[in-house]
Order: sequence, then C-alpha cells, then structure tokens
Amino acid sequence: MDNANPTILDVSQLPSRRQKQTKARDGPDSKYDHILFPKQAWPWGPKNSSSWPSDEEDEADDQDQDEEYVEEPIDEQEIYDLISSISDPEHPNTLGQLSVVNLPDIHITPSPVERLDPQALRTVVVELTPTITHCSMATIIGLAVRVRLESVLPPNYRVDVRMKDGSHDQDDQLNKQLADKERVAAALENDSLKRMLGDMLKTCAF
Amino acid sequence: MATFKDWALQYVLSDDETVQHEFSEKAAKEIENARANSTVLGNWALSVNQWLTTASAGDDDDGEDGDEAPSGDIIARAKALGFMADTLEVLGRNTLKSEQVRFLVGFFGAIFSYDHKAGITAATKALRQLYSMKGFNASMGVKMLEDVLKIKEDFRLQTGATRLEIYELFLSLLQDQSVSSELQHKYGTSLGFIVDLLQLCQHERDPKNLLVWFKILPTLLRDYSPSPEITEEIFKAFSAYFPISIRSSATPIGITAEDLKEAVRGCFASHQRVAPLAFPFLMQKLDQGDAVTVTVKVDILRTIKACIEQFDHPQNSVVPYIDKIWSSLKYEVRNGEVKETIDATLEVLRAIAKRLDGTKTFKYDAAMLKNYIDMVFKDCRDDLSNPTYTKQAGLLLVTVITANIKGFYLESANLLDCIRQNLRQPKSPSHTRDLVLLLNSILRARQELFEGRANGHPEDVEQLKTGPDPANLESLFHEVYVPIWVGKPKAPGSVNSSEDWSEDRYIPHWVQKPNKPDTVTTDTLKKVAQGLALLVSQRRISQSGGVFRLCSSNTSSDICSLLARCLYNPLTLSSNDQDTTSADLENEVVLALRTIVMNHRETYNTLMSFAKLEIEKRHWTNPSRHSLAALKDLFSRLAFIGCSDFPINITTETSPEVYYSPLQHLITFAAIQLTFFPFYRPNDKNSFKESPAKSYVISALHAALLHFRDACVARYQQADLVKYSGSEQNWIDEYKSLPEDWLQQLRSDPSKTDATVWSLKEDDPEVYRQFLKVGLFFVRSLYIDASKSSGTWNEAALFQLSKIAALVVRALDEKLQTTCLLAKEAFNFFRPSTEPVQEGMPTPFGGLLTLGILEGLWPQAMTELYQPDGLADSYMLDVRRTKDITPASTEIRAAIGAILANKYKGPPSISPCFLKELVNTATTSIEHVDPKTFEANIKIAMNILAGAAARQDKYIVEAVPLLRAAISSPSPNSEIAAQSLGIIVQDNEFLTAENHAVVKRFFKQWAYNYVAKPLFELALPKPQSDPATGAKYTTAILSLVRNCPFTVYQDDLEPLIRLLITSLAKGSPGLTNQEIARKRTVSALEILVEVLTNEPDSVKGHLKPIITNGMNLYNDISREHDLQLVMSRKLVLQLLGAIPTKFEERHLLPYAPQMKRMLATACGDSVREIRKTAIIARENWSKIGA
Repeated sequence: MDNANPTILDVSQLPSRRQKQTKARDGPDSKYDHILFPKQAWPWGPKNSSSWPSDEEDEADDQDQDEEYVEEPIDEQEIYDLISSISDPEHPNTLGQLSVVNLPDIHITPSPVERLDPQALRTVVVELTPTITHCSMATIIGLAVRVRLESVLPPNYRVDVRMKDGSHDQDDQLNKQLADKERVAAALENDSLKRMLGDMLKTCAF
Repeated sequence: MATFKDWALQYVLSDDETVQHEFSEKAAKEIENARANSTVLGNWALSVNQWLTTASAGDDDDGEDGDEAPSGDIIARAKALGFMADTLEVLGRNTLKSEQVRFLVGFFGAIFSYDHKAGITAATKALRQLYSMKGFNASMGVKMLEDVLKIKEDFRLQTGATRLEIYELFLSLLQDQSVSSELQHKYGTSLGFIVDLLQLCQHERDPKNLLVWFKILPTLLRDYSPSPEITEEIFKAFSAYFPISIRSSATPIGITAEDLKEAVRGCFASHQRVAPLAFPFLMQKLDQGDAVTVTVKVDILRTIKACIEQFDHPQNSVVPYIDKIWSSLKYEVRNGEVKETIDATLEVLRAIAKRLDGTKTFKYDAAMLKNYIDMVFKDCRDDLSNPTYTKQAGLLLVTVITANIKGFYLESANLLDCIRQNLRQPKSPSHTRDLVLLLNSILRARQELFEGRANGHPEDVEQLKTGPDPANLESLFHEVYVPIWVGKPKAPGSVNSSEDWSEDRYIPHWVQKPNKPDTVTTDTLKKVAQGLALLVSQRRISQSGGVFRLCSSNTSSDICSLLARCLYNPLTLSSNDQDTTSADLENEVVLALRTIVMNHRETYNTLMSFAKLEIEKRHWTNPSRHSLAALKDLFSRLAFIGCSDFPINITTETSPEVYYSPLQHLITFAAIQLTFFPFYRPNDKNSFKESPAKSYVISALHAALLHFRDACVARYQQADLVKYSGSEQNWIDEYKSLPEDWLQQLRSDPSKTDATVWSLKEDDPEVYRQFLKVGLFFVRSLYIDASKSSGTWNEAALFQLSKIAALVVRALDEKLQTTCLLAKEAFNFFRPSTEPVQEGMPTPFGGLLTLGILEGLWPQAMTELYQPDGLADSYMLDVRRTKDITPASTEIRAAIGAILANKYKGPPSISPCFLKELVNTATTSIEHVDPKTFEANIKIAMNILAGAAARQDKYIVEAVPLLRAAISSPSPNSEIAAQSLGIIVQDNEFLTAENHAVVKRFFKQWAYNYVAKPLFELALPKPQSDPATGAKYTTAILSLVRNCPFTVYQDDLEPLIRLLITSLAKGSPGLTNQEIARKRTVSALEILVEVLTNEPDSVKGHLKPIITNGMNLYNDISREHDLQLVMSRKLVLQLLGAIPTKFEERHLLPYAPQMKRMLATACGDSVREIRKTAIIARENWSKIGA
C-alpha cells in the first residue's frame, strides 16, 4: 500500500448540492409546519405567499414547485457527484473522501452557465490529486474516472482526465497514458484490470 | 419376584424409553400396592441381581486390564440400575420407610466405590430420588455426599450429563438446611469434605455443569462459615475461571458467555468473606494494562460492582479497599477513550457511594461516605481547571456526589464553588462549555434525587428540608449563567435582579456584534439555556413537607426575559444576520422557555404580553419577506412554548396561591393571539389588508390546538380520550350565554368566572373535554367573525380556520356533534339567524368553512342534512346554478360533494337526490356547455361519485350508462369526461377513516369491475368501430386504472397491455385535446412500470412494440418543456431501463444498439432527475450484447 494513512473526509464534509439550498427551519415547534404552512393545500388551493406581492426571488420559488423537474445543465457539481463516489483501489473510502477528486478541479468548457444548444460539443477536464506524489495507483484511478464519465455522459461530451500539476512525480507520463485512446482501449481488454475497475465503480450512486 | 424379574428383563432388553417407563411404572405400582412390604421391596431389589453379579465378576477382571469386560454387560448393568432408578422416580414420595431409604442409599452409594463404568448415572438419579423421599433424613444426606465423593478421579471420566446429575445432587444436599447442619456438626470448622469436593470438581469445563458448580460454591461460602484456608481454596476454585468466556460452537447449548460471567460474578459477590481475596485479585487483573480487552475490562468492573453492592458490612468488606479501587479506576475515566469502560467504571464508583450511604431502612455513619467523596474531590479538583480533563473530572465528581442525597448535601456546595471559581477565569471557550455542562449535570442530578426522595430513607427527606441554602443554587443565575450569556464575566453579586423587561443589560453580546458566535460558543450558550431551564425546574421542600419552586418569582421572570430576547431577535435582525447556528440556539431556547413557563406559570403571561408589545411597536405597513418569516416563527414558537405540555401546579413558598388550570396557557395564547387579528390598524387598512400575517395568526392558533391535543394524547389513555370526547350538554347553547370576550375574561380574572376550566387537575381526563370545549368556542367565534366581516379574512386564513374546525369537530363524539347540530352549523356558521348564508361571504372560499366542519362529522350526526329538500340537496343543487367556475371553488365544492355523498346513512336502496341530479346534469350538458364549465361540472360530479363509490352505493351502477354516453359523445368535452373518470377511485384526503368517512375495504376493486371493466370491450380496436371513440374509452380506462393498485386489474392484463401500447404510439391517435393526450401517456407509462414490476411475464410478448414505441416517444419529446411531457420522459426511461433487469438477454439483443445510442443521448437530458434515470437505464442496457 502506497499511503497507509491518508486524510479522510467525512461524507457530510463533501461538497453537495444540498448545502447550496437553504435549509428549511427545523425546530421543536415545526412538527406541524406542513399542515400550518402548506405550500399548497390542493392543486389550486391557497399558497401561503400567494396574496402577498412577490419580488423576483419569490417568482423563481413559485416556479420551483416541481423541483424534481427543473431544467438544469450538467455542471461541475454533477460531474463531481458522478465520480466522487468511485472507491479507491487501496482504501475502503471513496475518491471524494480522500480528496483525490475535488470540486474546484473540475472544469467544463464552454461553461454550463452559458446555456448553449444541448447538443453542442463540450469538454470536461478533471484534474486528480493522488494522496501521495508517487502513488502507483494513479493510472488506475484516472482510468476509472475516465471510464465512469464516458459511460454516463452523453456523446457530445469529451472527457479529459489528468493529474493536477505537481501532484504526481510522473504526471506528464500519466497524462499521456490517460489521453491515449488506444492504450485506454487496450487496458480495458485486460480482465484483471476490468475486474478491478468493476469493483471501484460498484459504489457509484447512479 | 418373578414379575419384577420379568419387568427388569424386559426393561433391559428394550431401547424404547416409553416402553421402559411402562415397566418402571408397573414396578412402582406393585411396590405401592404392597405398601412397600419388605418382601416385595426385596424382590424388586433382587430383580436386577443377575446383571450385578456379572458386574462384580467383570469388575474383578477390570482391576487388571481396564476395558476388557464385555461391553454388553456394562450396558445391561446400567440399564438394570436404570430400571431401579426409574422405578424410584415414579414411586410415591411417601411409600418408602426411613430404614428402606437408608438401605437403598447404602446400596446406591456403594456403587460409587466399585462400579464407575455402568452404575454412576443410574445411582445418582436414584440418590436424587431418594433425597426427595419423605423417609430421607440428614444423616443419609451426609452419607450420600461421602459415598459420592469416593468416585475420586473417575469423576472426570463420567459423561457431562452424568456429572450434571451429580452436581445437582450436591447442590440439593448442600443447600438443604438439615444436611448442612449435620455436615457442620460432623466436620466442625475444618469442613474437610469441602476439600474433597473441590478436588473432585476442579477440572470442570462443561458450561451447563459449570452453571451448577457456580451455584454450589457460593452456597459453601454463605452457609458453611469455612475457615480462611478453606475460603481461599474455594476462592481459587472459581477465580481460576475468571475472566470466563465460551467457544462458539456449531451446536448451540443455550448458554451464553453472559450467563457464565453472571454465574462467576455471583461467586465473587457471594460473601464478604472473600473480600480480602476478591478485590486484590480483580484489581490486579484490571491493572494489567493493554493486555486486557474491553470486554474483559467491563467484566472485571461489573464484578467489582457486584462485590461492592452485595458484600455485607461494607465498613469491613469494602472500605479497606476503596483507596486501591479509586486509584486504579480514576484513570479509566480520566484518560479512558472507550465509552463502555468509562460507563462501567462510573457505575463502580457510584456503587461505592451508594453502598457507603446505606439502605432505604438503615444508614451508615456519614463519615464513611464523606471520606470517600473527599478523596475523589481532592483528586479531581485540580483537573477542573485544566481544560483537557475538565469533562472527565466533572464526570467523576458528578457520579460520586450525586449518587445519593446525603452525598449531594455533603459536597455539592463545594463543587459548585469550585466550578464558579473556574468559570470566572476560564482557560478557553470549550473549558467554559465543559464547566457549564458540569453545572447542568449537577442541577439535573439534584432534580432526579429530589424526585426519587419517596423511595429513600426518612433521613434523606430531612436532609432535603435542612440542606444547603437554596439561595446558593438560585444565585447561579446571576453569578454564572448571565455573565456567560452576555459574554462578560462579572464579579459575584454585582448584578441585581430587576423586573425591567426592556433593559438592555441582558442582551447577549453576539446579538450586537457583527461577528457571529462560533460553534463552541453557540454550544455553550445552548448549554446555558438548558441549565436555566433546569434551574427553574428545581424544587425545595419546606419544614412542613410542602413542595415549592426553588427559584423566586423574580429570578424566574428574569430568566424568562433573558431567554425571551432570543425569540424576538429575528424580528430585529436582517436576513443576513440569520444563520443555522443561531437557529440551533433559538431552538434550544424555545425548549428551555417551555420548561420555564410550565414551572413558573406567570411568566407565560408576561412572555406573551411582551411579544405583543414587540410586534406592535414595529411597523407592519410594508414588511419584508424576512420580517414576515420572523413573525411566523415567533407565533409558531410561542404556541409551542405554552401549549405543547401542561403547566405544573406549583408555587414558591412565599407567593400566594395562584389559580391553576392545565388549559391556562392555551387560553392566554389564544386570547392574546386573537387580539392581533386581522392584523392591520384601522388607518392602514389598504396596505396590510392582504398580508399572510393574518393567516399566521390563525395558523398559530391551529398549532396551539395541535400541540395541546398531542399533550393530552401523551398523558391520557386512548380509552379516556374517547370517553371524554362527548358531553350531555349542548355546548353551542352554553356559548350563547357567554359574553363575546369570554376568553379574555377567563384569562384575566379567573376568580370571577366560575368555569370548570379553573378547577381541573392535571391527571383528570376532563382536561381533554374542556380543551375540546374551548376549541369549539374558538371555532364558533371565528366562524361568526368570518361570516360577518368578509373583508378581513383571506384565503389562507380561512383555510387554516377550516382546518381548526376539522381538528376540533373530528375529535367530538357523534352524540355531541348531533346535540350541537353541527351539521346544520356547517352551513349556518353558528350565526344566530338563518338568513341566507352565502351572502357577504368572500366567494368562493366560504365553502372552506362548510368543508371544515363537514370534514370532521360522523355520518350519524349528518342524517338531518339528507331530509327531502334538506341542506345537502339544496346546497349541492345550488352548485348547478353557480357561475363561479374557478378551479379553487370547483375543488372546494367537489370536496364538499364527495363528503356529502359519502357520509349518507339513509336506506341503501335510496341515494341522496343531489347525487343523481348532479351526475345527470353534468353528463347530459356535455354538448351545450363550454369546456371550462364542463370540466368544473364533471369534476364535481366525479367527486360525488367518488364519495358514493367509497361506500359502494348502488347508484354507481346506474351511473355507468350515463358516463359511457358522455364519453362516446361526439362533443370535444367527451375527452374531458373520459380523463375525469379516474377521480372516482383517486385517493382523496377527505375520504379517510380519520375523517369518519365510510370507506369500504375493496371499493376500488368494486368500482373497477362496474365502471372500467365493461369499457375494455368498447376500447379495443375493431374493424367497424370508430378509432376516436376507442381512444376515449382507452383514456377513461387508463385514468381509472392508474389510481388502482396492481392487484385490482391484474386479471385483465392482456387487453390492458394492448391499450397501453396504443397509447404510447406516436401522436396519441384519436384524441384532439393535447393536454389530455399527454396525461394519458403519463398514465399509460405509470401503469406499464407497475405491470413490469409486478408481472413482467405478461409483457414478454409485447416487448417489440413497447421498446420501439418507447424509444420513439422519448425521441419525440426529448426537447419539450411541458411538465406532463417531462414526466413522460422520466417514466419512459424508467420503463425502458427496467426491461433488461426482467428479461433474458436473447429477447433484447436486436434492440440493444439503437437503445444504447438513445440512452447515451438521454444522459444529456436538460433535466437532472431524468439524467439520473437515464444513467441507470444505460448501465442496465450496457450489459446487453457486451
């Protein structure tokens, strides 16, 4: 084992979409809030804020009534959610917990903020930070991230997985290896590698 | 004799236990019949002679070369002896004479000397039987014991079961009072037989036998006063097993390691005689350091605890070892990390304190306990000023000091002083937090000790009366809690209590400072809030024995005002200053305030009045969203603080008797809350008229009632609640004689009102009845107000009011509902006159008020409504004439219709008139009305049918042709009619058992059979049929099936799947209304997913159309934004994605390439939830053809 004692983050410390949303009040007195302040009593029933002049923020809230079906482009957080749950090949933790995958090191170009045609070509760059600079598992981790993203992203997304500058002694070599389609394809032909990748991807949430 | 011989022979020859038992029974009977005649008994004894004689011969040989005796002989001999033992077992206890018993004891006892191979089991069994005979006496017991001991080393060679028999025999003999004294008489204090016994049993390993052995050893220690040498031998016998464990075995024996541990523990704690051996032994085991595992450590600690608790004369048996125990154990807590060990250690320390105090009836010299506590205190005092060890030292001190009342009164004052000193100069924020936590633990412990005083010694109660000055505790508020709360440590005594609520000195520093408190500080403040609640909950006992509050009224008020600040803060702060940490603190404050107002009831009045002032002094002309949220929270919290529990009837010793009622806070809250309504001042009528704040006032009232109901449910039995939910009186009539401001009067001057409310006791379920009565009074007053002054009520407030009405009415029993004529009041709104009620009501929401009451009524209480031309008919028939077809008013009328149709209790053959009329009107008007009106009419009609269907009204069958005609009509409205059919079986919140609705268990199945099933024939395509009509029937079926569970339609899957596939086909053929077509697609997909989950085989033959139609559907709608289409996208991916998990690969291979391409694109869907579904589907399909 390369790094026997890596720093492990708790799952609650990992970046998630939930933290960005404002938390509903959860006091001892709010047991009956769903009855006392219902969003809507029935499809056309009274909304609590309906009779109050609303500002822009309110309107946005009102549109969010079917939050499940809101249109949102694929963003960095989504890429993070897709790959942070991959298991580390050596430790019983995920890449997110070991900070191998970090939200600021995921870049999508053109940015998802620009709401382009959904079919437009986009590139996802993921920079990995191995737990130690001589990590021998870096290639397999890179490969797993690549395989995962290619199997879940639509065809108009190009995936580029590389080591973060200075995070690995041989980052140039590794980057070349991960970018070489033929070598990646050859690696995926290897049964034992495939099994290992399968184990790593087992923990992926969806 | 021949008979006995014969029986013995047959017994020996048989292997069947029942047969054997028969022969022994026969033998026993024979002996009993002969009254144990010596000859008969002799014959019986001689009957086994032939095997025994052989045995002696065989044994002679054995003397030389062990196992050479024929094994057949051994078995036969064993069986022959078994015959005798079994006979003795069946034989009556009184049959044998004493000398006969003695003879047999001699006979079987002798076997232990010479026949170790065959005879032991049977001989032991026989001896046990003989022991229980009437003719048995103590000297025989001694002989038995001596004989059995002669087995010596061969004991180990016996089977486990035989050994168990012997152990049981030993146990019976040794526990026998007479045998015991005979033994002591014979052996004197040296008790030589014990040494033999210990030697005999020293290698036992069988868990079952050990359990008995560990019962024998304590008996020896307790009942036989052995000399120190023998004691030591006995101690060695059981301590050798410590710590005991058990190997996991494939064949469980029903004994756990815990049983064995308990048994060994019982040996250690059996008598104080072993104290000089036990404590050093256990301490030495404990001090082995890391070599001891947690389980073993816990075992040792529990054993020590058992010794402490069970040894008599603690001054001799425990006190000498306390120093050693303490010095070993303190580090387990001080430096320990494992919770189990720490807990077990604290248990030991607490056990010492309890033991030194005495029992419920007898107290030891206080000096013993004092010395112990002093020793602990001396060692821990310094740790309190060291932040690293504060928590642990606190834990140790609290454990020891709060173990009993005496300990608490001896040392608590010193400990409090010590904490105070440290809090004046805390080393770090977490140090402060730990000290406050310690303080709180002391207060909590005091509370528990006080509550448990009834179980203590009378001396304890005296101690409570004369104990340390309560002022010392009370001063904690000003000297400790306030300085921490406001963030400024103060010198003791510099703060005086004051009743000035507006004074700023209690404003916490973190309210004014821009930087928010960190987590540790917030934690500390939360602990302060908890501590203050504990402080107010403290009690004292007067010299006369009365129980009073410890804190004076002034202190309680001050505490309340200090914390209340926190509640009003959100009104003052801007939205940026609010964060989750302050919300956490506020929640803790809410809980603390609840405890405070329950203990010191007067504070709730002040709290509410002050809240009123705070709210009124702010400008509410144009409040921000944040201020409104703050107002909402404040109302909600005040309701919880006062109404979620019953106040406690307790005062201070000096204050006069105060009126008490469990309902008093509810009344105060409601009375003050209602003064806010309608929440605008006359001069800014227009600016605030439509504010949601109005509804917040009513919501808070609703909250108060809900919380109070919960408090009643928690306190009383369900049966009591049912019993007290009715009354002989007509409450509505009673209300009429009450003044309008009855609530205000009730609140402000209890002495002048002679209401039952002020004579209630906490534990009397009458409280619940009075709660309902007050609740119905609110409902009545508010209904009258709402029906009079339409302008002041808005939709949300009316909605909340209707829910309050439902809450209260639902709880009343049907008799009271009938007496109060509530069914009528649902339309009359409690007004004195019977003028037309709808006028002056804010339309369309007046219906909400009707709905509120109807929702909670029992069917039996509504019969009057269904009279010919009764209110039900006239109200519902009015609906036909209404021009108001807004969705909201339609929904309300539909709900009222559903309830009225459902709670009809008339003869089953006659349905209410309006039912027929409305369904008729709705279906026959199809061609004459515009779609909107038709939609409203049909929705109401279908809801009425839903109400009737739930109680399986026969009218549904009559209505089917009407519905069929409407669906097949050429009018475009017919599609709306088809889509609405599902309402009949849709889940409806008003049609539930909770709302006393009549819901038959299988009504969905019933409705499906009568309404949907006949339509299949019409929906399936036929050469000459009109595809448009077929499509409408399909829509109708799917809309209904979608709302049924799978089991309802599982018999019709074949035709259903054909309809589902047609519905997925491109362009939804046959429907002109796009929205309905989309809804139908959603229904079709939902049903398909359900079918695929429950019975995938039925889909197997249709995979091709499902997959191709599904893919086409997704491609067609992949860029659409309409909600129904977005839902369809998700469902279709869910459906397609589940297919590979249900079918073999060979069925799917042809579709895989195209499907994979489509799913890859679907992974880029614009909606995140759909992308997630697509990823799962893609993963499932990736395995096909890989």
